[in-house]
Amino acid sequence: MNKLKLNYTSLSFLPILVCIPLGYQLINNIHFGGFKLFQEFLISAFNPKIDNEIIITVIKRLNETILIGFFSWLVSIIFGAIFGIISSNIFYKIFNIPNFFYRILRFFLTIIRSIHEVVWGILLMQIYGINFSIGIIAICIPYIAVNSKVFAEQLETIDYKSFESINQINAPKFSSLITLIWNPIINTFKNFGLYRLECSIRSTVILGIFGIGGIGTSIFLSFQTLNFRELWTYLWSLAILIILSGLIFKKIKFNTTNKILSIFFISVFFITTLFSFSYFLYFIFNNNFENFNSVSSLFKSSSDLGLFDFLKLILETIILSLLSTGIAISLPPLVIGIFNNNTSKIFIKIFAFLLRLIPTPVILLTLLTFNNPSVSLAALTLGLHNAGITSKLLFTNLDSQDKRNYIAMKSLGISKKTSWLLGLFSQQAKSYLAYCAYRSDIIIRETAIVGVIGSVGLGWQLQESLSSFAWQEVTLVLIAYSSIAIFGELINGKIKNGLT
Amino acid sequence: MNNTVLELENISYKYKNDLILNKINLKINSGEKIALLGKSGSGKTTLISVLNGTIKPTQGKVKLFNESFEELDRKQKSKITTIWQDLRLIEDLSAEQNVNCGLLAENNFYFAFKNLLNISSFKKAHKYMKLCRLHNSIYDKKIIKLSGGQKQRVAIARSLIQESNILLADEPFNNLDPKLITTIKNLLLENVDKNKTKKSPKTALVALHRLDLLNDFDKVIGIRDGKIFFNIKRNNLKKIHLEKIY
Ligand SMILES: Nc1ncnc2c1ncn2[C@@H]1O[C@H](COP(=O)(O)OP(=O)(O)OP(=O)(O)O)[C@@H](O)[C@H]1O
Ligand SMILES: [Mg+2]
Repeated sequence: MNKLKLNYTSLSFLPILVCIPLGYQLINNIHFGGFKLFQEFLISAFNPKIDNEIIITVIKRLNETILIGFFSWLVSIIFGAIFGIISSNIFYKIFNIPNFFYRILRFFLTIIRSIHEVVWGILLMQIYGINFSIGIIAICIPYIAVNSKVFAEQLETIDYKSFESINQINAPKFSSLITLIWNPIINTFKNFGLYRLECSIRSTVILGIFGIGGIGTSIFLSFQTLNFRELWTYLWSLAILIILSGLIFKKIKFNTTNKILSIFFISVFFITTLFSFSYFLYFIFNNNFENFNSVSSLFKSSSDLGLFDFLKLILETIILSLLSTGIAISLPPLVIGIFNNNTSKIFIKIFAFLLRLIPTPVILLTLLTFNNPSVSLAALTLGLHNAGITSKLLFTNLDSQDKRNYIAMKSLGISKKTSWLLGLFSQQAKSYLAYCAYRSDIIIRETAIVGVIGSVGLGWQLQESLSSFAWQEVTLVLIAYSSIAIFGELINGKIKNGLT
Repeated sequence: MNNTVLELENISYKYKNDLILNKINLKINSGEKIALLGKSGSGKTTLISVLNGTIKPTQGKVKLFNESFEELDRKQKSKITTIWQDLRLIEDLSAEQNVNCGLLAENNFYFAFKNLLNISSFKKAHKYMKLCRLHNSIYDKKIIKLSGGQKQRVAIARSLIQESNILLADEPFNNLDPKLITTIKNLLLENVDKNKTKKSPKTALVALHRLDLLNDFDKVIGIRDGKIFFNIKRNNLKKIHLEKIY
């Protein structure tokens, strides 16, 4: 008998097994009360509301979203680079700083990164109230930490020998540093920086749903009032914004040897750094700390949360992450493999785009129209949204791949699906899984968003504890979140190393 | 007057369990041109790395101008220039930017910054690149796009632009054709007249495999298994010496 052999291809499909428990719970939780609503939601997609009034609102809201998105992007990419540099090996080698500091800084950044911007946002709103800059700050905090990791990783690729040779010239340390890191930094800006703008805009939309303002707030309000036609106007206009920004950035190719452009970028760099730093100081010293006083009760307030309940929430969050990751990994290759023809491909691409476009809270609220809240429903939401993202990557890679194997296999009379699996997908499986491992880090953080809305796991507890000002519980939840995320990151690091 | 420039006192270097340099004593006097011979793996590159301070020896002392290497400041250390066997250029910078890196020690941060933005002056860099017979079409090309011999000469130009009087060169003639070898050899060994006031003689230690190039050197050092086997005037070099080390 043949043994079942695990390889990258089968590993890409195996996680779909999560659908068994997931499906079971979903079927048990089905209710038909809101089915009409769901139908209405779908139909409205083709019939969005368009009149003068709403167009003015859209422009105003989009403006807010772009402003928050753009500034949080700019600040987080610049400070990400700065923190990336000072948390990189090369910095410590050049300045002869003990490794100890490097570990502390990296650990600190890992903790900050482990908490999702929505959580930061909710937290800051509770302390400082709703205001425009809270949105920017909430996005910037985790984004700076995320970006710094990417920059630091790029700086690790600097050849140790070129470091030694520059070192031997005995230049001033800052001269050596900048000469060595210049190109890796510029390349990271080019390859990674622009993509982060799209991420900032998406995060702004999500924060909007939690009340920060911009198009996200409008989306949420129109959903609450069941104004689906209006909702779709907002969603489509957001789609246009995202597609447009993608197109514009594809066209821009900035050349670092262009002097005027370089000087422009450097001025932007310094102005942003100075401005955000002074704003930060202003923010610290000029805020009313009335609400903040409640933080001091952190050590006094007793918690109603039992240890058992707390462990249950942690477990729920972990299960939620695992289930969603399973869907995000296996659904795209399964669907693309089964419906392997040109017409289906277009439909899958559109569907995947919608899954990326519609913010997870809205997907979840829509699903809630015919299913009771449960871990599975939250997992389905998060899984589908992320499957939209992983499938985009898979499509891009498959389209750019050499198709000779696939064609050769088909000409041998092997079925189209099998040829696709063995001739095309099998060569992508490894890098696809490596990307999914990275994606699952993000999924763990995103459990916060669906948790708050779908009343599961730690996200929900966070909301509860915050609204009752139980700061001790809040701290506990945050620590639990960080621990799960850091633990997940450790495991994923191992998996990624195995895959590359 | 003691004119010892570089001195190694009882140097040993251990890597894991291998003794790569074994109790080396060496004095290099001002103005000496020394050829360093030894078969592949004998420790030439390691010796040069110890001399320029890149490798810290497990045992012993390195002295520059009679002072322990660690106690010297940056400006004094920068009086040594090295041409590495593996060149160690910065691959994604252009040829002229790499040559300008040789000037980093005597300039401030602003110069390094301008160099990266391509708005610094490349006049001096071009002068030395021209001396190394590099064609001006490659000045602004990235290192990755150069041929082996071109890269070799960029590394040499980066060293020459430092206008240093103490040269450590590790097989600098790799990848060069016979005509270029003569040109480069003369450039490397000729005195540097930085301030145009007093001529200070050039001190050079060059690791090489080509015995036909020995004529321009005053001294020959033979090394084998990390040990100095002979350290003699070139005129005294006999066949028997070479048989010992090869
Ligand atoms: N980074 C290193 N790690 C471990 N061993 C090393 C390292 N560099 C050199 N060695 C070892 O040290 C010994 C001397 O090496 P070295 O590079 O100094 O020789 P070499 O005389 O320059 O040889 P070649 O003529 O081939 O350049 C060799 O046995 C080599 O294997
Ligand atoms: Mg060598």
